[in-house]
Amino acid sequence: MASIVLSNVDKIYAGGVKAVNGLNLEIRDGEFMVLVGPSGCGKSTALRMIAGLEDISGGEISIGDRVVNHLPPKDRDIAMVFQNYALYPHMTVEENLAFGLKLRKMPKAEIQKRVGDAARMLGLEQYLKRKPAALSGGQRQRVAMGRAIVREPQAFLMDEPLSNLDAKLRVSMRASLNQLHERLGVTTVYVTHDQVEAMTLGDRVCVLRDGLLQQVDTPQNLFDSPVNLFVAGFMGSPSMNFTYAELTRDDDGAAVAFADYKLPVPDSTFDEKPGLDRYIGKKIILGIRPSDFEDSVAANGNAAGWVRIPVRANVTEELGSEINVLFTIDAPPVEHKDTVAAQHDGDEEEAAALPLAGDKSLWTARVNARSHVRPGQDIELVVDTHNLHFFDVDSGLSIGHEANVGA
Amino acid sequence: MPVASAEASTSRKQGRGRSVNVFGGLSHVALLIWAVLVIFPIVWTFLASFKTNTELFGDTPLALPHQFHWDAWGRAWAKAHIGLYLVNTIKVVAISTFLTMLFGSMAAYVLARYTFFGNKAIYLLFVSGLSFPVFLALAPLWLTMKNLGLLGTHTGVVLVYVAYSLPFTVFFLTAFFRTLPTSVGEAAMMDGCSHTRTFFQIMMPMAKPGLISITIFNVIGQWNQYLLPIVLLPGDAQDKWLITQGIANISTNAGYEADWAGLFAALSMAIIPVLIVYIIFQRQIQSGLTTGALK
Repeated sequence: MASIVLSNVDKIYAGGVKAVNGLNLEIRDGEFMVLVGPSGCGKSTALRMIAGLEDISGGEISIGDRVVNHLPPKDRDIAMVFQNYALYPHMTVEENLAFGLKLRKMPKAEIQKRVGDAARMLGLEQYLKRKPAALSGGQRQRVAMGRAIVREPQAFLMDEPLSNLDAKLRVSMRASLNQLHERLGVTTVYVTHDQVEAMTLGDRVCVLRDGLLQQVDTPQNLFDSPVNLFVAGFMGSPSMNFTYAELTRDDDGAAVAFADYKLPVPDSTFDEKPGLDRYIGKKIILGIRPSDFEDSVAANGNAAGWVRIPVRANVTEELGSEINVLFTIDAPPVEHKDTVAAQHDGDEEEAAALPLAGDKSLWTARVNARSHVRPGQDIELVVDTHNLHFFDVDSGLSIGHEANVGA
Repeated sequence: MPVASAEASTSRKQGRGRSVNVFGGLSHVALLIWAVLVIFPIVWTFLASFKTNTELFGDTPLALPHQFHWDAWGRAWAKAHIGLYLVNTIKVVAISTFLTMLFGSMAAYVLARYTFFGNKAIYLLFVSGLSFPVFLALAPLWLTMKNLGLLGTHTGVVLVYVAYSLPFTVFFLTAFFRTLPTSVGEAAMMDGCSHTRTFFQIMMPMAKPGLISITIFNVIGQWNQYLLPIVLLPGDAQDKWLITQGIANISTNAGYEADWAGLFAALSMAIIPVLIVYIIFQRQIQSGLTTGALK
């Protein structure tokens, strides 16, 4: 096992397209690192450079203590799981698993032991004599994982390994992957465009956009304190609600005003976000997570520090355990390049719904299922004002985020 | 309303079914005609080898032979040396097809999968060979072979066959290799395969359907070559002749006294090996081998 360090890594394709731009990333020994971002953000390119399948245009990649820039893939002691599995179609499952070991001139007994262990771990024992064509998608996926596991490499590289499975299988494979990583403890770099996968699997998550690193942190930190509008909009489902708002302070304390609403901003927020007070009297972009809303009826007795706002539910999505309430607020939708980019790869229905709202923004609130709210109904929502997010209108950076304070 | 729409949809379905049937019927008629066109001459050739010259040129050329004697086959085999020429041809075609496939597939794989300076130029050079008629090359080829001392040898013929088969082989296989998934080759690289081993152990088996198709194409093409052997294996090297020369010789040598039954027997002997090759391999083309590699 080893750590993987990328320092100032660039990838420039012929034609001058910069797929990866000055990427600095340290993946610790035994860590599960997820690279996430919309399509074309350079996450797969970064992974393929670590694997040695793409040349590195600039910078340095090291695995363990070795700089691997010019080492061919086979000498980097890593194993990769491909999105389309890339099994050898003319070999049986057993031969597929053993192929890499045979090439390394490993003794037969050792090969048998490792293949047997991996097959047992992945529940592939009864399929060892079959060819990939006679396996289901999930089984092929497991063979692809097995081929990586038997090698016992320094690191696993996984390129969207679950994206070809159906939804239910994907969830169960996600859990197995988590277990597998617990058990083996091998450094893993995992690429996905699915932010739910990123949140559930990663020890840390690295958000990329247009080849540029946006933020690396634990899933919870990414969710709680995104560094800019893009990360805020990309992580979390349903995604964060944004609006232009004005920050004011009068005798009653600070408040943020948007549309017809005025939410008080608690003093503690100013302590947590240094520099926020400089924006008083100015326009900012306000972000509120759907999960920071609650139906005032359902939240009764639990509303300390929560503010009520009346809205009319346009659409409700009942998910069983909770309800997504879609409502419009009387403010133009935020059209910052960051939010557009984050939306683009996210929920397409949501993007399609925007024009319907016209000059109003469509917001989502996630409320308890006990709320029983129906479309067209007036409802009073409460907002947790401790979790408001503030962004600079021009730069899109999160105000008061530790990474942006110096900037 | 639902009833009406259901009726409409069934009638539409029937309509589509009918049109498919009409089209299917017509295409079967066309296939039937095609099959007759192909099979009839072969059967007639085979039957003609049992006839006598009188029977062949008599009033009923389509009648069955009076008796099934293998005399003509024996004459063709021994007197006209078709046996020797058959062995020669098998030798030449086997070696040259093997070499064509080996070099062709290697060149095609590299051209399809690796980017390097001049890749496109080399590919176009190969493909331009397709537009070069054999007739144009006859004189220079003869001179080159003479200068190399390879005139009248099988080595010379093999070399020329390989050169003439490569353009189409490379053209076809490059396209074929491009359709194969890159990730399987990459997986092999990660597993520790060298480029050579990746090609022979991973890519070649995956390209089997394409390799077999083009092998059959090459075997038939080289088997039927007449012009090149005539030039490269002149009359003084008669023991090196190939089967097409031998067959032509039966009719030309004897003038008006040609042994027509022997000629047809020789033709049948030339057809049978090709048929066998085709029957063995064509079954394998049908089963694509990439199934199971990907999702």
